[in-house]
Amino acid sequence: MTDPLALDPVLPARERSEPSLRRWNEDLPHDERYEHFEAHVLAGGKIEPNDWMPDEYRTAVLRFVEMHANSELMGVLPEREWIMRAPTLRRKLALTSKVQDEVGHAQLLYRVAEDLGKPREAMLDDLLAGKTKFHNVFHYPTKTWADIGVIAWLVDAAAIVAQQALRDSSYGPYARTMQKICWEESVHIMHGRDVVVTMANGTAPQREMLQEALDRWWGPLMQMHGPRSDRARDRDLHWRIKAKTSEELRQEFLTIYVPRIRELGLTIPDPELAFDKDAGEWRYTDPDWNELRTVVTNHGPKSQERLEFRRLNREATAWVRAAILAEPRAAA
Amino acid sequence: MTDDGNRMIDEGAPIAPGEASGEGPGGILEPYEVFRQEKDGDPMRHGGNVLAPDLELALHYAREMYSRRGESVRLWVVRRADIGVLDDLDLLQPPLDRSFKKPGGYVMRDKLAAARDRAGTTKPGARAASHDTTGRRGEGDR
Amino acid sequence: MTPTSVMSGLDTPTRSALAGLLLAMADDDFVIGFSDSEWTGIAPILEEDVAMSSIAQDELGHAKVLYELLAGLLDDGRDADALAYDREPEAYRHARLLDHGRGDWATTIARRFLYDTADAARLASIGDGWPPLAELVAKIRREERYHVMHALAWVDRLARAGGEARTRFAAALEALAPDAPTVLAAPEGEAALLEAGILARPMSAAFRGWRTEVFGILGPLGITLALEAATDATRHRATPSDDFRWLWGEFTSVRRSDPGASW
Repeated sequence: MTDPLALDPVLPARERSEPSLRRWNEDLPHDERYEHFEAHVLAGGKIEPNDWMPDEYRTAVLRFVEMHANSELMGVLPEREWIMRAPTLRRKLALTSKVQDEVGHAQLLYRVAEDLGKPREAMLDDLLAGKTKFHNVFHYPTKTWADIGVIAWLVDAAAIVAQQALRDSSYGPYARTMQKICWEESVHIMHGRDVVVTMANGTAPQREMLQEALDRWWGPLMQMHGPRSDRARDRDLHWRIKAKTSEELRQEFLTIYVPRIRELGLTIPDPELAFDKDAGEWRYTDPDWNELRTVVTNHGPKSQERLEFRRLNREATAWVRAAILAEPRAAA
Repeated sequence: MTDDGNRMIDEGAPIAPGEASGEGPGGILEPYEVFRQEKDGDPMRHGGNVLAPDLELALHYAREMYSRRGESVRLWVVRRADIGVLDDLDLLQPPLDRSFKKPGGYVMRDKLAAARDRAGTTKPGARAASHDTTGRRGEGDR
Repeated sequence: MTPTSVMSGLDTPTRSALAGLLLAMADDDFVIGFSDSEWTGIAPILEEDVAMSSIAQDELGHAKVLYELLAGLLDDGRDADALAYDREPEAYRHARLLDHGRGDWATTIARRFLYDTADAARLASIGDGWPPLAELVAKIRREERYHVMHALAWVDRLARAGGEARTRFAAALEALAPDAPTVLAAPEGEAALLEAGILARPMSAAFRGWRTEVFGILGPLGITLALEAATDATRHRATPSDDFRWLWGEFTSVRRSDPGASW
């Protein structure tokens, strides 16, 4: 007879699993570590700063995050000149707050990159020397108040489409940062759309200003997510640093925002833009990829001016940083 | 125990805090981890980190980065270098069976059915759940 | 709370003095707010950038609510935006201290220190005589606490860092010292405001308390400063500086491009 006190504690088979042992952190040969690491990432697992990483992964994440951080930092410049000119108190507060958020995002992203091993000053050095890049849209001038609306609404929307797809990135700190950033960006888009709709409902000169801004920004917007890439060859996709292809992001942006632009009575300056029901995707005039290449290699209309501005500002404020830090030892 | 949180400090760091020579504030920019409480009664949750030369400015920056929209009611700031880390799974998730420590280790459904059969009784009405349950189905009273 | 019911207790001279006080307070916060908001994106440290921007936004927010109060008091069809934007440069009433450019970080910190402590002394002088202002000031003071904390953190660091930082900071204080007391210059019609309890003490008393406080902070840091009460000079500049004219040109540019439009 069974001992009534024998409780027989047995878990059903499927509940008895091996916890993720993070075997790539063990003292194993490189190839074995790489295999464990890759299996973990491909299964949807997360990587944290203290994990061993293959150089390829560390480099890829760092490059991705660094470009993102640079873009937030440079993205501040086109908008901040209009803080001064914001035409109402509320718009002034909203725009200051938005630009502040971009600085905050730069802080969050540089922190992620720093914890991967690259000091902040080194990243600024590389940005200013043109060794690392920032996104195309931040190389263009802002000519009118309407630009401010269009950027805050549509450029931020295109960015958020990309950023939402990064919330499940394999690199833990980046994924968590993206969740915070996406939450903050949603307010920017509302502010931008409010500026745009107010002008669309306003005077004839305001509507003209708005259409003119859209005409100028549409090209860079369509280039923003980059050319179509081969899914099979995209290493950032392989390592699940990002989850969607450039084209998927662009299509998502068009699906959400084309109707919302048109409902305001605005014209999108691409006569070829149409949704192909059979193919289930948007057709459009092929973006000017030469322009994109020219711009992101720092030959855009405002690239050098903005980099120079940053350079000068950095020099002018260097004494402040030195003041709150200890006197460094003689350089090693 | 891992020391990797200090990596940034070790690489090219001029002087450790407290070792600055001469007068005046001296220090290095170090990461400070920020924990936040969203509303009364919530646990402190890790929110992120800020780079600061000392605790006072770290608190200012934590306020800016993690509550400028009023999204926190409390913040803790801790110098990363002061945090002890345990992530050794041999210690945290040892491999041998410990199901006697967890609810899933006590499945009595068949035994209770056998007891009711033998005694000719039925399942007690569910006017009040007994305490041997975490509220999840399949446990306790069945 | 309608303007008329609220103003029913105030006679014309008092209303006029109150309007002048509100305009001065609002213009002070407006000018320093947009001046310091220029640091957004280009401050010395990323984390500090966010902090300074918050402080600038606070000042703009305070200006906004003060203009709103003033608009209710004047009841002449102008809203807060019209008051903030639609005046000629000569019609602005910000204190001379705020009429300087933003300058470098040392100048900004020096001015924040002088302004936030003076503003705190001014706010502490507001009495219960006109409840809408008293209630608003209670909230503003709670937000301003952070400004003083932040300013003091930097005053301490810059002064004690020695070298270039201390030199710049001390020089900035010297340059701003002649105009700093203008924040606490007696407003026109101060007697009426005291009579009505809108001011609980004269600005001269606020000034003396403020000066003692400033000396108490700078003394231990080895910095001496001459702070004289504004006597002959009026609180604000008779003719706006070129700096301010330029700023005015910028901040009114969009509005002037399409007068009457909604933005």
